Parts: sequence; structure tokens; C-alpha cells
Amino acid sequence: MRELLGAVRARVPSRGQLTGPLLVGVFAAVPLIPFFTDSWLRVFFLVGLYVVLGLGLNIVVGFAGLLDLGYVAFFATGAYLLGILTSPQSPIDLHLGFWYVLPLALVLGALVGLLLGLPVLPLRGDYLAIVTLGFGEIIRILLVNMRDITNGSQGLAAIEKPPVPGWQEIDEPWQWYYFVLLLAVVVAFISARLRDARIGRAWEAIREDEDVAAAMGINTVKYKLLAFATGAAIGSVGGVLFASFIGFINPTSFTLQVSINVLAVVIIGGMGSTWGVVLGAFILIGVPELLQFRETADALERIGWLRGIVNAPFAAIDAVAPFDVWQVPEASEWGRLVADKRFILYGALLVAVMVLRPTGIFPSRRRKLEFEHPLPAETAEALAAGGGGGSS
Amino acid sequence: MFLASTGFWIDQLVNGLTVGSMYALIALGYTMVYGVLKMINFAHGEVFMLGSYAGFGVLVALGGEEISGPMVAVAILLAMLAAALASSGASVVLERVAYRPLRNAPRLAPLISAIGASIFLQFLVLDVTSAKASFYPRLFPSGGLEFGEVRVTYLQLFLLLSSILMMLFLYTVVQRTAMGRAIRAVAENRTNAALMGVDVDRAIVTVFVLGAAMAGVAGVLWGLFFLQIRGSMGFLPGIKAFTAAVLGGIGSIPGAMVGGYFLGLTETIGREALSAIPGVDLPNEWRDVIAFSLLVLVLLFRPTGIFGELVGRRA
Repeated sequence: MRELLGAVRARVPSRGQLTGPLLVGVFAAVPLIPFFTDSWLRVFFLVGLYVVLGLGLNIVVGFAGLLDLGYVAFFATGAYLLGILTSPQSPIDLHLGFWYVLPLALVLGALVGLLLGLPVLPLRGDYLAIVTLGFGEIIRILLVNMRDITNGSQGLAAIEKPPVPGWQEIDEPWQWYYFVLLLAVVVAFISARLRDARIGRAWEAIREDEDVAAAMGINTVKYKLLAFATGAAIGSVGGVLFASFIGFINPTSFTLQVSINVLAVVIIGGMGSTWGVVLGAFILIGVPELLQFRETADALERIGWLRGIVNAPFAAIDAVAPFDVWQVPEASEWGRLVADKRFILYGALLVAVMVLRPTGIFPSRRRKLEFEHPLPAETAEALAAGGGGGSS
Repeated sequence: MFLASTGFWIDQLVNGLTVGSMYALIALGYTMVYGVLKMINFAHGEVFMLGSYAGFGVLVALGGEEISGPMVAVAILLAMLAAALASSGASVVLERVAYRPLRNAPRLAPLISAIGASIFLQFLVLDVTSAKASFYPRLFPSGGLEFGEVRVTYLQLFLLLSSILMMLFLYTVVQRTAMGRAIRAVAENRTNAALMGVDVDRAIVTVFVLGAAMAGVAGVLWGLFFLQIRGSMGFLPGIKAFTAAVLGGIGSIPGAMVGGYFLGLTETIGREALSAIPGVDLPNEWRDVIAFSLLVLVLLFRPTGIFGELVGRRA
């Protein structure tokens, strides 16, 4: 009888397991609300895209603890693969459909990741950071200069939209929104399964202490490469989506800023946590876009009286000072100003998060435990009594 | 074309050494910080950029293009001093705010903090300057010394000499003073140094100050040589100087100097040599590609650097 009850209980999902599907359901309902116009949905698509990219980088940084500062390289790989294979301006006369390119981009992304990771991953993690940072910049130079393949700084236009068999092309913002939502759910699912599998535990061990992991028989180079390649493949798929959505790419879309965006989403949101990435993408990518909306400016206009109060001291100084004193800008400008300065904010936030709250705003449960309770008290005592010698 | 003129290649040699001397100055900061903290100070390129702007400010305040005669020497010295001070100041704040609280944190934390500080400084300056470039005044007479076919401009001469002087100064400080001994002790083993009565915090701050001063002076030299400066200027020289530090064996001070010159030579001559192949024409940007490929190659085949001084695999 008890066994039966246990089996029944196992079938009923716990509250924690329901949050995921429930929230996805809420996200799926978003386009049905008339308030969210096309421009909103475009922003939400962008947020979704960064969720996908963030989840990809999260595998590298959050799971395996490898700092990749050139994620844009893989993003560009996918975007340019689609551009080169479907744009009429492509110097290479070879046409492939969107659905063929997608799996190709996955493979190519992983290969580029392997190629870049092979020389560096056997070394200390710091080297990976600087090599990826450099490669993120080099890729842009290569894109500009390899005109025979990439069409140089003129870029590639009229990139193919994904055709749905028996229907039409994915073109409307709401269709793109659902596409990216589906992809994000798939990536989140895969990444959660990887995390809980043997490979995920190996990554975690490497992240916590590479020497100990190696001593436990984990082939650290192999697992680091796997993490790096998986992240790269996801970044590349994100690039395909981006290129198709925008329809036109040139090297200026693939700068350091993209890498910073994704890194900030992962780290400020909460390393290792899926919902952290979602929240991070919304706050860091979505909000700055929304701040630039006409509606936001109008809404801010309504609190224009606030400017008078904030500006009062400046105006007072200005009245007596012989020189011009800086004045608080019009309220309707505030949104745009914050959006303009977002990278300054990201930089400061990265430092602040590391110093004050290294688990991120929305940390994964396991990571939080690691930080707050490094070891159960009795284990620590036993270790201390055992006097395991040698500090590091 | 390939063998057309030896003079051309010697010109490139001088060019390479000139750029290399600036890489070397910046690389010293990376290598010293790495030596004591085992961490890449990603914001070092931005420290260099701040120095360049400080020197620019002084030169403009003293009259910009109007400066002439012996005032040029005074102005440049003052600019270098201001740059060294500004860079050191910024570096001390960085160390205090972004690095010191994380000294015993998991190794990813200080790296992320450093890249955050780098992003913050870069975009702050870009924002203040509206992402526009500023232009150093042309202060050097355009002439130079002629050696047969080869001409070395006064500016190049000045760059080479002043960078060598700076490095000699640093080397003396580290090798001959009590503080230098403390720094070397901390680099060797922080705990033991502390037990021997070395003020570890002070030694680490000194390392940041010395490295930043070198970078600040390099910033002024960079401005004098390339004339154009901007908020994002620290990024590539930063990566390259790090490459130079790795080339020479990270943690080693003479290594960083040699690595800097070597990198400057390789990227300059490498691009010209590749361009000399018929049918190949590489724009200037390919120097960056060459420098970067060199970094990857060194990491692949000799991660301990040319001198093989310190641990490359793990520290």
C-alpha cells in the first residue's frame, strides 16, 4: 500500500516542477494580449534570442566555469552561415534552405568552438578569457576583410526567412516570438538535462576545483571542450535566428557589445540558473529597448514635475554661478539616456555583483548552497581534525 | 618587390620596435599583477587609455599646437607625469574596489570583476567624449636622423629612448629597493611573505601603481605617435600587451619587455612580408590578426613563453 502511495506521489509533480510549464504558458499567451503591439513583440523576440544565447553561454560560464569573452564569434558564425548560403548578394553561389542551414550551423558552431578551444582549454582558465576576447575582435576583422566570402562591410541582405511547410514564411513578429520561445524552451530543457546528467556533474566538479576533478578521474580537457563546443553550437543557432529575423547582416552587428550583453545576462541574472538568465535577458536587453519607446517618453512626460524637483538644486546653483551648470534633462529623455548609458551600467553591475552578491540576482539553488554553506559543519570539522595538511 | 630595398625593411624594423616599446610598457603591468595575484587585469588597457587622456588634457591646457621650443620638452614631461598619476590613481581605486574584496574568492570572480571594470571605464569615457576621437598636438619636428637609406624620426627616437628609460627605472625599483624585494617575495609566496613581515597589501598596491604608471606613460607615447586617441583605444593594445607578456613568460619582467619588442616586430614585419607576396594585399588591421595568431601559437606550443620562467599550465 505504501509503495502504491509512493508511486502515486511520484507521478504528481511537485510545486517546483510546475513553475516551468506554468511560466512558459504565460509567455505563450503574451501575443494574444492586444496591448502588446508588434514593436513590443519584436523586443520580446530579442529578449528570447538573448535567453537562448544566455543559456548557451551559461553552459560554458555557469556550468563549467570557463570565462568566454568572445561569444559573439559563434553568434557571427551562425549568422554568416545563413547569410552566405541564402542571401542573393552572397559571393558564393550555393543556395541552401533555412531548415538545412540550421543543423549545419549547429555543427559548424561546435567545430569553431572546438578549433578555438583546443589550443587553450588544456591551459589555465585565464588564457581562455583573453583568447576568446581577442578572437571576438578578430572575427569582425575577418568578416570585413574576407570579401570573397562575406561580401565585406557591405554585408548580406535579403536573408531567407524560415518557410513553414504547407503554410507561409515566418515573418510577422508574433510568429518570430513563438519560434524563439520554442527554441528557448528546447535549449532550456537540454541544458537542464545536461546539468543533471553525468556530464553536468563533471562540469561542476571542474568548476569547483580542476585538480580535484582530474584526480577523481574526470578527463578535464574533454569535458571542458564539450562545454565550450555545446555553448558555441547554441550561440551559432542563435546567430541563424538573428540573421533571418533581421534579414540583413554586416560586420558592425558583431562587435564586443554582443559578447558583453550575453555575459552580463548570464552573470547578473545568476550564473547557472535558467530563470536567472530569463530575468537577466528581460532586464538587460528588454528594458533598455522598452525605455526607448515613444510610449515610454510619453509616460515619463507625465511625471515631468519630478524633473523640477530633481533639478531645483542645479537650477539654484545655475542662477548664482557665473558659468553654465549642468541641468537635469527633460523627463521624456530619461528613458533614452538610461538606455544610452547601459554598458557603463553593465560594467559597474558586473563588478558589484561579483563583490556583493557573487551568486547573481537570481542564483541557481545549488550554487547558492555552495556559496552559503561551503561544507556541512561536521565534514569541515572532520577535515580539520584529520589535518589534511598543505594550504594552496 | 620582395628584395627591392633593404631600407624599406629597416624602416619597418624601426617601426616595429617603436610600437613594440609601447606594448612592452603596457605588458609590464599585466605581468607584474599576474606575478603577485595570478590574475589577468583586464582593465589595464583602460588604465592605459586614461593615462593617454590625462596627458592629452595637460598638453591642451599648455597650449596644444602652440607649444614650441624648449616648452615642448617641459610639456611632454608634465603630460607623462600627469598620465602616470592619473593611471596610478585609477589603478589604486580599481584594486581597492574591484579586486581586493575578491582576493580569496573562486578564481572566476576576480576575472569577471576585472572585465566589468574594463567595460565600465571604456564606455564611461566613450560616453563623456560622445565616442569621438581626440587629437594630440603635433609637437615633434618632422625631421630625423639619417643613416644611409634609413631614417629614424625624432619622435621614434624619443619613444624608444623614453620607454627604455622607464623600463630601467622599473627594473631598478623591483631589483634594488626594499619595496621591490617585498614585491618579489609576495610574488613568490604570499603567505610566507606575510609571515616574514611583508605588508602584502602595500606590496600589491605598489605593483598596481608601478604597472599603471608605465601604462600611463605608454598612453602619452601612443598619443604622440598615432595622434588619435579615443575611449576604446585601450582594448587592442591591452590584448596585445597581454600577448607580449605571455610571449615573454607571464610573471617575468624582462620577459614582458622582450615580448613587447618581439610582438611589435612580428606584427609589423609579418604584415609587410605577407603583403610582399604577389597577389596578397593585407590592410593594416591584419597586424591584429598576426598578433593574435601568435598568441594562440605560443599558447599551443610553448605556454610558458620564450623564457619559460613561470608556470603556464597552472599556478
